[in-house]
Amino acid sequence: MNKKRFGLTGVVAVIALAFSTLVAPSASAATEIVVWADENRGPNLTKVIEAKGDWVSGYTVKVVTFSSFDALKTAVDNATDLTGPDIIVGANDWVATSAKNGKLAPITLSSAVKKRFTENNFFDLSYQGKLYGVPLDINNVAMIYNENLVKKAPKKLGDMVDYYNANKEKKKLVAGLCIAGGGTSWGAHSVLSALGGSAYRMKNGAVDSVVDPINPKELAKNISKYFLDAKGKSTGFFPASDAGCKDNFLAGKVPFAVIGNWEWKDYVYKGFKMNLMPVPGIKAGTYGQMFGSVSGALLTTYAAKRGVEAGAKDLLVNFFASTEGAIRYQSVELRPPAEKNAQKADLTAAQVGFGKAGSIAGIPQIGAILNGTAGSKSYWDLLPAFWTAVLVDGKDPKSEATKLNGFFKLNIAAGVKDL
Amino acid sequence: MKLLYRGKVTKTAKYLVVAFVSAILALLIQSAFAQGEYEIAAFLAIALVSIVIVYLTDISIPFKFLLPGMLFLFAFVIGPIVYTLVMSTFQYQTGNYISKDDAISRIQLLGVEADEAGTSFDVVVGRDSAGKVAILASDILTQSYFVANKEVKRDFLSTDITLNSDGIATAAPGFTPILDSERSTLDFEVSSTRFRYSDEYFILMEGSALGVLKRQVLTYQKDKDVFVNLLDGRTFADNGKGNYADVNDPSQILQPGWRSPIWFSHYIDLFTDSEVRKPLIRVFIWTIIFASLTVLTQFSLGLLLALAMNRPIRGRRIYRSIFILPYAMPSIMSILIWGGMFDTEFGAINNLFGTDIAWFQNALFARAAVIIVNLWLGFPYFYLICSGALQAIPTELSEAAAIDGATPRQIFSKITLPLLLQIVAPLLVASFAFNFNNFNLIYLLTGGGPSSPLDGDIAGATDILISYTYKIAFGTNIQNLGLASAISVIIFIIIASISLYGVRKSKVLDTFV
Repeated sequence: MNKKRFGLTGVVAVIALAFSTLVAPSASAATEIVVWADENRGPNLTKVIEAKGDWVSGYTVKVVTFSSFDALKTAVDNATDLTGPDIIVGANDWVATSAKNGKLAPITLSSAVKKRFTENNFFDLSYQGKLYGVPLDINNVAMIYNENLVKKAPKKLGDMVDYYNANKEKKKLVAGLCIAGGGTSWGAHSVLSALGGSAYRMKNGAVDSVVDPINPKELAKNISKYFLDAKGKSTGFFPASDAGCKDNFLAGKVPFAVIGNWEWKDYVYKGFKMNLMPVPGIKAGTYGQMFGSVSGALLTTYAAKRGVEAGAKDLLVNFFASTEGAIRYQSVELRPPAEKNAQKADLTAAQVGFGKAGSIAGIPQIGAILNGTAGSKSYWDLLPAFWTAVLVDGKDPKSEATKLNGFFKLNIAAGVKDL
Repeated sequence: MKLLYRGKVTKTAKYLVVAFVSAILALLIQSAFAQGEYEIAAFLAIALVSIVIVYLTDISIPFKFLLPGMLFLFAFVIGPIVYTLVMSTFQYQTGNYISKDDAISRIQLLGVEADEAGTSFDVVVGRDSAGKVAILASDILTQSYFVANKEVKRDFLSTDITLNSDGIATAAPGFTPILDSERSTLDFEVSSTRFRYSDEYFILMEGSALGVLKRQVLTYQKDKDVFVNLLDGRTFADNGKGNYADVNDPSQILQPGWRSPIWFSHYIDLFTDSEVRKPLIRVFIWTIIFASLTVLTQFSLGLLLALAMNRPIRGRRIYRSIFILPYAMPSIMSILIWGGMFDTEFGAINNLFGTDIAWFQNALFARAAVIIVNLWLGFPYFYLICSGALQAIPTELSEAAAIDGATPRQIFSKITLPLLLQIVAPLLVASFAFNFNNFNLIYLLTGGGPSSPLDGDIAGATDILISYTYKIAFGTNIQNLGLASAISVIIFIIIASISLYGVRKSKVLDTFV
């Protein structure tokens, strides 16, 4: 290279370096606590946290909103020491895997803070005896019925089946009860439970690993009685798929639907009353248990690496787990709060309805059991397969229920070790 | 103006472009280094140096044209292939995600336990008389108060300290609470310090106002690379698979594990582990059938329509426009619409035909649905290709054959089709390779299902290799990225072989030799 070229190269290098220095990202200040949330919770958290700026003295809080829940999950999966947040507002079933992957850090709460929540709330956010976050809002489903079709709340599952059989042709019903929210695994646990089965049984606040979760004979008998015709074919009362359920319920073609507490506004806007209740069981006064999971504000290991662990823990306690924080947040988020005192605050009919249904027939959602383990299958895959086998493929309910029970037992045996 | 006048504007523009690209690369190098991505930083540095040398000197004129392509080839083709290959030799799955050093650090941090009573203290963080970070702790129940730093604990009587209305100590002799402005500065020290309580127990801070009594249960012995449980004496040693396992009961492992090299274990599992092998063989067979049927049906329909449209018929232009419509629509939209139409209870297809076929719950029907939808998505492509190819075949050939007495069927089978196949054969091979990896269709239409986990199914009936790999890598709560990488390498070898065969057969590269 001649002198001129050296000069030009030098000029290019100087311009390049100057530019890169100007736009180089500066490391975030260690006084900032970073919270990641999805597209719904993010803006609401930003609003509430900014409205009262001193949740944690000496720190500022930055809420990063992701375009969707899936985008948030992907970001959590890909987070590194340099990019990860201090707190993640996420699903309870992220706890086991994220803790296993070394992304979450445990937190110990004082007894005063613990008292603000039910023990079940902590089940969801714990892994191997350690708590990884604080409960935020309750995710559950409840059954809604169309009062234009059904005048009174059903007392038994049989009442619903009778109504469907009597009005199927006359009112052109496409189903009797369907799952509009939560899918045919999470949302449909209430139906499985109404029929007498369960993913696991609870006893004195703990998982009962002795009793079988399903009595195959009883479950098969109830399925045959309520969901199948004399030839063993589905009557159409309960579809094995959740596709089209919401639209058909809103169109008046399905009298009963299980809906999620995140979508109640869609029903209210269409003029439906929030007559929410658990799915009725075989006998009057019994109900199918539904998963009452909580979303959590989860502490990450990145907080310690960024030097804001104490601040992040204070934010979890002072804001996310506080009565004031929960009331302020749920006044804009409009979900049932997990915090007990906030549950007594001025809530919408839907918040009250879902909360009530959950308190009547809720069962904690324990990811360590439900997610399955090596040698078994996850509950999330098994239950939809069970519905398909008995309602679509016409397989023998008893033998399928026996298989389901076998897998559930394997999952319980493996899962309780991680509790 | 002078520069322009002398015709040097292009050179100036070149220098500016090189400067801009160099600046971007310098920025990325800095960022990659900061994030510890040294391989990426090294590649970017090589790219930067190459660009500067090639474009600011006259070392090689051809390289000025080749360099961008080569850099992109390395960055987006060779790099990912090498990375996938490397990852396939690692135990890289849920629970084995971080480095070994990080795992050791996490196990040590998690290897503490609270005392049986779950004792906790209300705490004020400050400094002691020696200026060391210390805590002023209060146990309201037992009315015990003390100041502790890392080494020393000093007890106080309630009469010696200042209590607030809740009975929590707020000031003590020789103790100065920190200011709010100091909290973030001292955060790391406060969070990581084990404040002295007794020989066995220490206090760990949970935020800035709560201290919890803990003791170490698992301790790491660096010289032996083992963890020892101080309570029951159990020893956990490196099991060579990315976990510390109990030496007496290897099924008992400590979490988290780490990404550990296991060399060819995943590849061996593909052939020897029936849990992996059986579904893989089933999926592989269906992938071949799916790709073959897709090419066959799409080509057949496309050719049929092209032959029909090759004759002068009324409204030919309108028909041609209609045939191209499925190709013009975004395939994602088409797939989702078809998905709704195939729904058992509420779908248009069952309603139209008065059937109640469970399209996506029955393996046979789900496979049929996949082929039908893919036919809809792909036939316009072959229609266009065949239309063009038919027009390239000289009409004199068929006219001469007709004069010689050949029937239309003979003309088609002996003249048109062989000539057509010569032209479209490489495209058929390419289409096969594309459909071998047609992830979008399977993922959006059936999600790979149906499967019957109750009968032990792992893969779904419509899963093809790529969707099955995705499930293993990301589809469930238990992700196995290492195994998924190994399957990806196998897929790569298959696709590369098919492509190479296609290229050789079509003699595309002959023109370059």
